Amino acid sequence: MSATMVAGHLPIETLLAWWLHETDAADTDAVDEHLLRCDACGETLDALVGLADGVRAAFKAGLVGAIASGDFIARLASRGHRVREYRLPCNGGVDCTVAPDDELLVAHLETPLQDVDRLDAVVTLSFAPDVQHRLEDVPFDAQAGEVLWLPKFDLIRNAPAHTAEVTLLSVDADAAHELGRYTFRHQPWPGG
Amino acid sequence: MARGGAALQRGAERRRYAFGMEALDASAAEAPEALVARRIAAAAPGAARDAEAELYRLLAPRARRYGMRHLRDGDAAADLMQHVMALTIEQLRSGALREPERVASFVLGACRMTVIEQRRLERRRGDLLERYANDLPIADIHVAPRLDHRRVADCLDRLPERERSVLVMTFYDDAPADAIAGEIGLSAGNVRVIRHRGLDKLRRCVDGGARVTS
Repeated sequence: MSATMVAGHLPIETLLAWWLHETDAADTDAVDEHLLRCDACGETLDALVGLADGVRAAFKAGLVGAIASGDFIARLASRGHRVREYRLPCNGGVDCTVAPDDELLVAHLETPLQDVDRLDAVVTLSFAPDVQHRLEDVPFDAQAGEVLWLPKFDLIRNAPAHTAEVTLLSVDADAAHELGRYTFRHQPWPGG
Repeated sequence: MARGGAALQRGAERRRYAFGMEALDASAAEAPEALVARRIAAAAPGAARDAEAELYRLLAPRARRYGMRHLRDGDAAADLMQHVMALTIEQLRSGALREPERVASFVLGACRMTVIEQRRLERRRGDLLERYANDLPIADIHVAPRLDHRRVADCLDRLPERERSVLVMTFYDDAPADAIAGEIGLSAGNVRVIRHRGLDKLRRCVDGGARVTS
């Protein structure tokens, strides 16, 4: 086993790699063997899997916002998730809503990213204009030409009519430069 | 456990070589499951019910974990666990498992063979369960309780953006690092580092209610 064992137990990174099918055949066999003899590592694994289930459940319930990739959204859609997507050109706006049977909301924020080192996003809401929510150092694929923002779906579903503004900033050692500003004019689903 | 015993034994004879049991160290020979297995093997068939229940309690969760990892399905993992434990107890009762202290190796081998032969054994496993389901000394086994997903969400909220995004993309469908890496412009190594940091903070927050700091 390539990973170092601590006091006869497997490190959690090794258990996670095994769980995610990242281990090669020899390491997979070694972890299989270890887990058949070690309840302490088995319980660590159970806790890890329980945490993974919790993350999945929280995300499915719309309680977690994230920046994700187009491939990730495609995987969700292929599993039958009802995804509502809005595409906004740089400095664009959109009238938007959430239907009762929607399960995920995705905003495609188009912007050139080739020369960006670090990307921040600042979100302001019309019902709390003085409060800025700053998402620092968000992940992005420079080749994609867009940032995929998944807001907290549960929050949006229950929100009254409002406007949300998202500003993307390229951040370097000296300053932050605005890349684009995106406006979401949200209306609750009629009768919802 | 009379019906089907011969078929099981024939299967076990074949498997005894396939499992490739390695040398047993002294600590494994004194492990709780080895001691319990010896008691079952030493008793008249079916007479050591307490020991069988104890063996089930010790080994069934381990077989279930193997099934969860290799079959990725809770029901299939539960079926594997039941099948392997029925086979193991049958082998101990009949004396076919001649070195009962090697019971953990036997269970691992049985898990491997069952998964490899999953499709071919589908009908046979159903038959085995049908035959032995009422005879299995099923004991309560510990399964980790489900976490409150609102608490998990609250803890995720406190993580830096990269860590939260990587954890969501990882755990939504148990994606390996190299599958995610290219999608968000990172190397697989970077994804593992971010994942490790985020997971460590998330565990501490969920376990202790402690505030997560970036």
